[in-house]
Amino acid sequence: MSNGKALVYTQEKCTGCRSCVVGCSLYHDGECGKVVSRVAVVRNERFGESFVVGCDMCTDAPCAAVCPTGACAMDTAAGITKINAEKCIGCKECAMACPFGVINMHYKTGKAFKCDLCEGRDAGPVCADWCPSGAISYTSPNIALKAKRRAKLMERLEAAKAGEEG
Amino acid sequence: MYGWSGKRLRVNLTTGEIKHEPLSYEYRRKWIGGRGMNSEVIYNEVPPNLDPLDPEARVCFGVGPISGTAAPASGRVTVSCKSPLTGGFGDSNMGGHWGAELKYAGYDQIIVQGKAKKPVYLWIDDDKVEIRDAAHVWGKFPREADQMIKQELGDEDIHIVLIGPAGENLVRFACTFNDVYRAAGRTGHGAVIGSKNLKGIAVRGSGTVKIARPKEFFDVCNRLRQTFKNDPMRKFLYEIGSLSLINVAVHDGWIGANNFQQGAHPDAHFMSGEEHSTTVLKHREGCFSCPICCGRFTEIKEGPYAGEYGGGPEYEHSVPTGPRVGVFEPNAIWHNMILTNNYGMDGIECGGTIATAMEWYQRGLITTKDTGGLELEWGNQEVVSKLIGMMAMREGFGDILADGASRAADRLGLGDEGHKYTMSTRGMTMPGDDPRGLGFAYGTGFAIGTRGGCDHLRALPSLELSGFMYPGLNTKIIGDERPVKPTTIVGKGYCTFYEENQKAMTDCLNVCCFTTHWSFAVLTADQVEYFNAVTGMDITEEEFMVIGERIVNLERAYWSRMLSGKREDTIPERYVKEPMPQGVPDQTNVGMTFPIQKTLPGYYKYRDYDLETGFPSERRLKMLGLDYVAKDLAPLRAKYNTDAEKKKKKYYY
Repeated sequence: MSNGKALVYTQEKCTGCRSCVVGCSLYHDGECGKVVSRVAVVRNERFGESFVVGCDMCTDAPCAAVCPTGACAMDTAAGITKINAEKCIGCKECAMACPFGVINMHYKTGKAFKCDLCEGRDAGPVCADWCPSGAISYTSPNIALKAKRRAKLMERLEAAKAGEEG
Repeated sequence: MYGWSGKRLRVNLTTGEIKHEPLSYEYRRKWIGGRGMNSEVIYNEVPPNLDPLDPEARVCFGVGPISGTAAPASGRVTVSCKSPLTGGFGDSNMGGHWGAELKYAGYDQIIVQGKAKKPVYLWIDDDKVEIRDAAHVWGKFPREADQMIKQELGDEDIHIVLIGPAGENLVRFACTFNDVYRAAGRTGHGAVIGSKNLKGIAVRGSGTVKIARPKEFFDVCNRLRQTFKNDPMRKFLYEIGSLSLINVAVHDGWIGANNFQQGAHPDAHFMSGEEHSTTVLKHREGCFSCPICCGRFTEIKEGPYAGEYGGGPEYEHSVPTGPRVGVFEPNAIWHNMILTNNYGMDGIECGGTIATAMEWYQRGLITTKDTGGLELEWGNQEVVSKLIGMMAMREGFGDILADGASRAADRLGLGDEGHKYTMSTRGMTMPGDDPRGLGFAYGTGFAIGTRGGCDHLRALPSLELSGFMYPGLNTKIIGDERPVKPTTIVGKGYCTFYEENQKAMTDCLNVCCFTTHWSFAVLTADQVEYFNAVTGMDITEEEFMVIGERIVNLERAYWSRMLSGKREDTIPERYVKEPMPQGVPDQTNVGMTFPIQKTLPGYYKYRDYDLETGFPSERRLKMLGLDYVAKDLAPLRAKYNTDAEKKKKKYYY
């Protein structure tokens, strides 16, 4: 795994506010709505649970593997799996193949669309930029993993410290 | 069409007729949306002498042109009716995701009228609208009904507005929920909805909100989102929620313990947001498109209430069902909050009414004979939690209290002495803030609030409260830095006037006032900017504020039509006459009273209210394009000041 950046989701932090959803749809489509967003939030109101799902930019992307026309393919230079709307025939194979359910069919064109990490936006993807709780961050997965491992170490250190004091 | 959906839904539950009505450009330009459009409907369609629980009464759900967009916190819904609690104009708004969903379904407003023969709920699936049987969810808590309806309709992602058992039992301060825990609390429209045999409204929207100038709109939103990242108020609200106010309230003495007999109490610290965050907070919640996320989700882990869970707490909900009734044990307060949410009652009014009864009991106005054996001692949590259930189900003494404090005083025959302790104006009890020391503009707002007096969310003049966190802001907005001091009279008239108009606009756009009032990350200029970018209009800041003024005047005129005016612009006597006692050593407002008579004239001057009656003046009404309202009020001005009218005591209408 390189140090290239990707979207990292920390589910426990998601407040379910859908700032990512409206930001994404406005940035890409110039209108606001869940149906034109490339990122989705699933909520269970009763138990107060929220879950954010977006493209993970799989290395062996199932969406690209099933695409019959080559419209959905990895742009290796950018490291982004993109859908070329001109080549897309709207067969929905990619949408069904995506393990996270984050490829949608556009209500206007009937063609598939997906996350492109807001390619070209200096501040990175809008969803991560606007996320108020840090549930979505745009970072290197390598660094995120290192931080996760370090957190375990800190836990042990703190437990040891508490033991000495106690 | 940009911003608006351009149509509203009118449902007549008596006849089953469902109509889609177009909203003209002029109408939208004049009333904007949400609170504005709702107020217009209530003024024109609900006569002042109609019983709020009559089938002919209306209940409106409104969203604004900005709802469902990327503008910060744009998911609110305004619910309006003629209030069964006060008998006057009433509205309330709630967060959650339902408002945005309604917009995506293609509506700016829903008007419900008539009464169904048996319990029903409404199912709005874009253009398809259906009235469905609700027998199986009638009597259920919102959390159960929500799940049952979702399963029945086969879609867990829809959003539902619901009332609880209290609304079904016509408790006069029953409220409405969406997304289970997001309540439109005040003024009791839950009872109006219940009186129509309507359990709720489920919505699924598959559309989008079209934006006139998307690039410009994205840039404004992006700028505001960046501002929020470093906003001082936002940090508090996200980290510890609105309960971050507890420690401030204790120090400054406005927590209103024991029905406002005490401003500060040392034990109140235990229910602070700081404590809550480290004990029972499960996680933080956000309403639609919100950059703040002040919502909490609580799970009680130990003690007699272990295992209970629910959305909240929030400052205004927790204080009346806690310190106001003398309860300071945090888990007990969270339990009371969960109970009122389950039954579907306004926590403020519920706590306020119990506190009133406790003070009657303390002063010997009522005894255990009246209460059916309940010992209403301050802090008797067992009785408080029992009474909440009895009120919701209208059982025993709870049935009397379910009519609200003022009506209960009359039902018990307690006379003026009883009314003195209801701590209410125009039939609605105070929120959890004592104006002695809290702020003089805030207190003025309590006296003149257009949804029944005593309401903090009408003017919400936080320029004097959180203004100090934004140096120079008062100067920028009202041209004077002095009003930033809460306990000064200077500039408070204009401060209340400005903030009241601004709040009206915030409610019309249906964005959250925490973005524009508590936090000042979004100023009026920013709102005008995003409003114009979304709708393609080019209105100026002055025009924008005039619309706010129009709405406030229309709502005020609703009260004027009921002969409620200057004499009713009061606050509970306690704030004026009883100096604040000492509760904690470092309390800042000891000995203070609130000089309402000194702050009101300044406010009247800017409002241009008629000095004799307190009604909106004819010249101002005409200037605001409300000629028909001026005509309605003309014969009433003289009537208000007749001797017979002057003698009447009006606690509610």
